[in-house]
Amino acid sequence: MDCSSSSEAIAEFLDGTLDPAQQRALERHVESCGPCRALVADLKTIQAAAFTLDRQPAPRHVFDAVRTRIAAEPRPSTGGRVLGWPRTRGSWAVLAAAAALVLATTAGIYPLLRSADRHDDEQAAATEGADVVATVQAELQAAEQHYDKAIAGLEQIARSESSALEPQVAAVLQKNLQVIDQAIGESRKALEVQPASTDAQDSLFDAMRSKVALLQQTVELINEMRKGNQAEAGRLIQGLNQ
Amino acid sequence: MAAYHPKTVTRPAPLSPSTPLSMSPSKPTGDVRSADLALAERVRSGEGGAFEELYHQHSTRLYNLAYRMAGTASDADDLLQDIFLIAYRKLGSFRGESTLATWLYRLAMNHCLDVLRSRQSRMGQRTESLDEESAMPVVAPGGIGAVSRIDLERAIGTLPTACRAAFVLHDVEGFGHQEVGMILGISEGTSKSQVHKARLRLRAYLTQPRADS
Repeated sequence: MDCSSSSEAIAEFLDGTLDPAQQRALERHVESCGPCRALVADLKTIQAAAFTLDRQPAPRHVFDAVRTRIAAEPRPSTGGRVLGWPRTRGSWAVLAAAAALVLATTAGIYPLLRSADRHDDEQAAATEGADVVATVQAELQAAEQHYDKAIAGLEQIARSESSALEPQVAAVLQKNLQVIDQAIGESRKALEVQPASTDAQDSLFDAMRSKVALLQQTVELINEMRKGNQAEAGRLIQGLNQ
Repeated sequence: MAAYHPKTVTRPAPLSPSTPLSMSPSKPTGDVRSADLALAERVRSGEGGAFEELYHQHSTRLYNLAYRMAGTASDADDLLQDIFLIAYRKLGSFRGESTLATWLYRLAMNHCLDVLRSRQSRMGQRTESLDEESAMPVVAPGGIGAVSRIDLERAIGTLPTACRAAFVLHDVEGFGHQEVGMILGISEGTSKSQVHKARLRLRAYLTQPRADS
């Protein structure tokens, strides 16, 4: 072994993966070669120092900030319904996954609406007094305004940047948004009839959260498609599918 | 939950083979897998305290990773917030194919690299790919002797982004090359090569006389 061939062996030696025969050859070379001996000693010192570097705990305010940001997020979806993602992540796969998204979102929202219909009478009976109704309506309006504002901003971004998406993908996402809009409309109608129905309120806000989440993910998808990052785009579509 | 283990100081004896420092298996054991999946499911279902548990299990290592990649505490704060927000959004895609720790590291490193490259791009700096060769600095005569924590942290901050990522994951965080490759999306061989280059660069930096020494 000479100096030029020892470099790779030194790397393997430091990682503990050099086979015994090569290790003996390296040791013989290092015994007789000052520069290589110094190199091994220095690299071992660096390796050991790196492994003993301190770990500082994350500042408390970071957790508080994360918690605040997450409170404004829709709850992450469960993973049980996800379709398998093929190894080759070409545009066909993006399209296939996007098409499945329509079914997933439709399945997620309509049961809520049906549930709202079933329980409207019970919920209305349980709500007492006009004051309570007025308070609930005021809170509902405030929450709706919050969501409407977020949705408007995201829709503007998605509209202005939608050219980054393949037309078929954009069409599927658009169709999906229409499904959510329909759910929002039906929830609002149910609330007009039964303003105190908590199921109808939940349906409305679930649908709004779904829309905010879908628009956020659409914007993320647009960003990744613009960057040409098919793998990340695939992952996002996979997330949209859940 | 046994995804992370505290570091133990294992300074290898001179000229004896080092012990591989891998700490987290690429393929989780059954217990780890089920514990990780259970925690992910509890977060997804909105169980009170579940996200906090996830955060406290992983925040220290991810914070230090972000700090070493970004170089400042302020940037590390921002990166850690983003990392956990992205993790929360993407938790549905966690299938237990790796440990939750590895999944989080991959996500964290992708975000750190995106932010660093975007910053370099905005500043008009050249960005390097993970496989790109670049000139190795010259080593000054004389050994490096003892290495202080401050000097080493500073030296790590001078590494090219790709080298730094591989070095931090392997030599600081203790992942094996296979897992580093999985986290960075590179081959095991490329990980070995990047880590070795990083060590050589650090040696060159640490042999240079410094104004404050």
